[in-house]
Amino acid sequence: MSQFTHLHVASAYSGHYGVNRPEHLAEAALAMGADALAVTDRNGLYGAVKHIGACLELGIAPIVGVDLAVLDDQAQPIGRAVVLAHGHDHGLGWRTLCRLVSEANRHGKKQPTGLTVQQLAQLVQHGDQETGYTASATVLLSPDNPFGKLALGANRESALHALSQWRQHFVAPGSLAVEIASLLTRPGTEWSTTQATRILELADQLEIPAVLTNSVRYLTPDDALTADVLDAARNLEPLGMFQPQPNAQAWLKPHDQMVELAQEICRDYRRAQKLLDTTAALAARCRLEPATDCGWGKPKTPEKSALGITGNPFELLWQKAHDGIHWRYPNISQAKLQQVQHRLAQELMTIHKLEFATYFLTVADVAQMIRDMKIRTAARGSGAGSLVNYTLGISGVDPIENDLLFERFLSTERTSLPDIDIDVESARRHEIYRAIFRRYGASRVTLLSMQSTYRGRGAVRDSGLALGLEEDRIDEIAKSVWRFSAGSFRAATGRKPELAKVAEALENDRTMNLLVDITERLDRLPRHISMHPCGVILGDSTLLDLTPVEPSGIELPMSQFDKDDMDPMGLLKLDVLGVRMQSSMAYAVREIERVRGETLDLDAIALDDPATFKAIRTTNTLGIFQIESPGQRELTGKHQPTVFNDLTIQISLFRPGPMKGNMIAPYLDGRHGFAKPSYPHPDLEPILRETYGVVIFHEHVLRIFNKMTKCGLAKADELRRSMENPRKKPLIEEFFRTKATENGYSPKVIEEVWGTLEGFSSFGFCKAHGAAFAMPTYQSAWLKTHYPTEFVAGLFTHDPGMYPRRLLLAEARRLGVKILPLDVNKSTDEYLVEKTPDGQLAVRLALTEIQNVSQTEIKRIIKNAPYKDLGDFYLRAQPSRRTLENLGLLGALDGVAGVANPDLTQLGQGAGADAESLRATRGDVMAKVRQLNAVHKRPKINPDQPTLDFIDLTDHLPRGNAAPSLETNVLNELKLMKLDVSQHIIELYREMLDEMGVVRSDELVGLRNKTDVLIAGVRVATQTPPMRSGKRVVFLSLDDGAGCADATFFDEAQQRCSHVLFNTRLLVVAGKTRRTGVRGVSVMAENAWDLKELYREWQKRKNTAKPSALQQSA
Amino acid sequence: MTRVDETVEVSVNQSGEPVGFSWREERYLVIARPVRWFARRDWWAESARANRGIGAAVLETEMWGLTANGVQGTAKFELVHSRNGNRWQLVRVYR
Repeated sequence: MSQFTHLHVASAYSGHYGVNRPEHLAEAALAMGADALAVTDRNGLYGAVKHIGACLELGIAPIVGVDLAVLDDQAQPIGRAVVLAHGHDHGLGWRTLCRLVSEANRHGKKQPTGLTVQQLAQLVQHGDQETGYTASATVLLSPDNPFGKLALGANRESALHALSQWRQHFVAPGSLAVEIASLLTRPGTEWSTTQATRILELADQLEIPAVLTNSVRYLTPDDALTADVLDAARNLEPLGMFQPQPNAQAWLKPHDQMVELAQEICRDYRRAQKLLDTTAALAARCRLEPATDCGWGKPKTPEKSALGITGNPFELLWQKAHDGIHWRYPNISQAKLQQVQHRLAQELMTIHKLEFATYFLTVADVAQMIRDMKIRTAARGSGAGSLVNYTLGISGVDPIENDLLFERFLSTERTSLPDIDIDVESARRHEIYRAIFRRYGASRVTLLSMQSTYRGRGAVRDSGLALGLEEDRIDEIAKSVWRFSAGSFRAATGRKPELAKVAEALENDRTMNLLVDITERLDRLPRHISMHPCGVILGDSTLLDLTPVEPSGIELPMSQFDKDDMDPMGLLKLDVLGVRMQSSMAYAVREIERVRGETLDLDAIALDDPATFKAIRTTNTLGIFQIESPGQRELTGKHQPTVFNDLTIQISLFRPGPMKGNMIAPYLDGRHGFAKPSYPHPDLEPILRETYGVVIFHEHVLRIFNKMTKCGLAKADELRRSMENPRKKPLIEEFFRTKATENGYSPKVIEEVWGTLEGFSSFGFCKAHGAAFAMPTYQSAWLKTHYPTEFVAGLFTHDPGMYPRRLLLAEARRLGVKILPLDVNKSTDEYLVEKTPDGQLAVRLALTEIQNVSQTEIKRIIKNAPYKDLGDFYLRAQPSRRTLENLGLLGALDGVAGVANPDLTQLGQGAGADAESLRATRGDVMAKVRQLNAVHKRPKINPDQPTLDFIDLTDHLPRGNAAPSLETNVLNELKLMKLDVSQHIIELYREMLDEMGVVRSDELVGLRNKTDVLIAGVRVATQTPPMRSGKRVVFLSLDDGAGCADATFFDEAQQRCSHVLFNTRLLVVAGKTRRTGVRGVSVMAENAWDLKELYREWQKRKNTAKPSALQQSA
Repeated sequence: MTRVDETVEVSVNQSGEPVGFSWREERYLVIARPVRWFARRDWWAESARANRGIGAAVLETEMWGLTANGVQGTAKFELVHSRNGNRWQLVRVYR
């Protein structure tokens, strides 16, 4: 007898329902001796491709289905059904399943995912009355449907009636079956053997095939606990507040136990045998042949017609690629032209061999379309290594100039579709998606989805919810979960100082123990599906037969497959990634044009501008793409880049791999002449000269393999990839040693080089990717250097960086960029660049910066501007009372009310200079605001009649109210905008800090190494990068208005100040200076304190009666 | 129905089904096919731990329903079987 096949199995991709990954389920099935396994995820085919892949790898037959709600006429769920695709029918069954799943998801979250019985019947059957009907999928009705519930009662007839009602819709043989499943619950209840027995009798009487399953949602009984927690997360209710699963029986039971179940249900040997046979027959019918059924592994690209091509695609590609030469290389020399043409021809031949011409034409078409929309783009990833991509305009990086390899991107040794990623302005990303849908048609395009997985904090939150902990408590614990996998939560409590409280609670708090245990269980499980931030799938007109879709957050349809599913399914994924920096730069360029009338082509600027590199070397890199983080800033100080290639190297070095592989120090030593670069063999010197003998790039590895084994670059990339596979590595080692010996390299050289390659394999970085990133890095640095005001305006408007906005403000101050306060007559929803009366450029704060102001109010304020006075603003902009008050407090009404505030003039605010207005103050404005806010009902505007008859709104401001202090203004700004516009927040504590002898961050560079110092500031970044030693190091960056100071906390220091290390915002740190390079100084921290706490103590000690606004706020 | 909570001696057949048991020094013989099911437990309210590998024992309980004959006549009994240590606990008696 053949082994039992499970036909109803939820994988972990059944969000908040299934527990185990498809590959684990398949492995277990194989271990039990099964030769086939189904995955039937809830509501979609989310785990299907992974399941098929796992089955293919293990050599068992994949079966795929979906588990859907059965809906009544009001679209309310009344039970569930599994729909299994038939196989070996040239994709008909798979197509039916995909279309059916898409239909079930059509309404998104607006209604339950499911179908009515009529819809199910219609979708799985084909044909007409004359020719007869056939089925391409089988609907398996679950015991939890109405007939199953009725079967438990005394009235057998009503159950029979219910089932026969449904049966009549299914005429094609094999279109319907009834699921027989017992979870061995108490006899007479749902999912009991009694119920299964009765349902079997109904099925037999109506001659519907009956099929045995175990309605599996986990691999082992132990996993049932995890399922309980997932149920709580799905229901958004604590355990105990809802009906839980009946027991722990829904696991992947082995053959013998399934046979026992069959016998227990049938109580008759022959009937049991028939049940198992029917199950096996359905399983046989549903075995998929991935290649012919699902288009497995066959690349699919839009048809020629969709691209508007009539002739041979390759000839067209050849033509287009060559046409681009003169665009990319104007005034090219004859010798260079030959070099370019030679490389282009080589790349094109590879593309031809792989039959990817349409693919490249498609991507070029999309890139052209984006450029035509006047949206900035840049390539990223290995695609930048291709000259074809460069001349087609897909990438903007010259692969010859940057010494990049095509073979890293594409080679005849691989047949999977290559990845080309395009970065675009984030603010206009959706515009591009819609344009792609329009251009290629909705039948060929869908968005890509992604599955987010449970990580530390999310796992803690959902576990806390499941256990019914109070929100505050969950919050507190979740916040202390910092950069470690939730799977080792318990182990982490013993090691990490910030988890000391949790560790203590584990001693005697049962709930805390459960929390830690179930958090560990949730770790890494899929959590929910969402739109991938950048992926678009382009296919031919059969795309929707191959992938099910559901509505995404932006209405466009989204595939249920994720990026890992693309390659196996042969689907072309285009990453159109929104990059805020691209938006910021585009904005800056637009402002330059608007205010100065200069047209600027950022993609055409020279890449060797000395001023730009000089500015980078100061390490004031805030706002510059990729190199603004504290670590990159420190590295910039040590590295001191002078040419474009330096940026490529620096970006590539500051990655977990090179850092773990200890590549940075030897490189810097070589660069600064502290150590003589060493090359294992003179042949390798040309390859490694740029990095002083250090192997950093994948391209290095390719060239070394090629040089020493003469294997060719394409094969070299294959070797590089296989190095990561422990099974293949010994073979590669043997190949390398043999070939290198044949080519005359000495054993010593071979030994040394192999050691490097081996250590390198997982650490390196693709140079093409680094070079692609270096482009916006350079461009943003260039803008910051030459157009700082417009650049800052772009940063504020599109917020591309990692730092809080108030730090940008500090950087603007440092750069001497003037920031103008809010003004209802001048501020909009963007940060506009303005010419001040003295002819200088400045940035005007945007209204969007104010917290708690609605979009509608902002739109109204902008639409009705300008206003002639405060009353006019009050009447036409119709601000809410709170908004009016906030605008007043922030000085946004000063201009319209004619106030000249000395603090603001100091900041560059040119106010009306007549004597009367000079006397008005913001205090007067606030008095007026209070008057207006006291008006019960805002009068209507009547154009025929002066509006101001009941209260003279144009009346002069009340006078004689004192202007608020600078301190008050700063605190209001922080409270209402989280920006300290008038003055840096740290200045409020200056008196105490001076008394303590706290050093300013820009003074650090002048101090000797190992000087004892105190620094203070606002936390702007906390990082715990991976360390070679495995010990945790915490990097804190503090901003004090003069710049950023970086403090490093090692183990002991972390213990001392664990309570402030991760959560406190204003800090004072004590430590010793540590020189890290020419311009690099950081502080080796010894201790840290909460600045506000110190301030309170200090004020108490001072014991002066001077009341301060700070006391109220602190 | 009477609730009890007492350990009882149970004799089982080859497939592990109870055939008889002793309770309060009296012998009972199972006279109908015994019924087994699995009931769930609220581990979050009673268990000290829920770590991976702790097993389903904290989540579910193996239950047996027996119809048995003793000196006082026939009655129905519910027993809990813990595999861990092969303990049988009589929990309910229906007379």
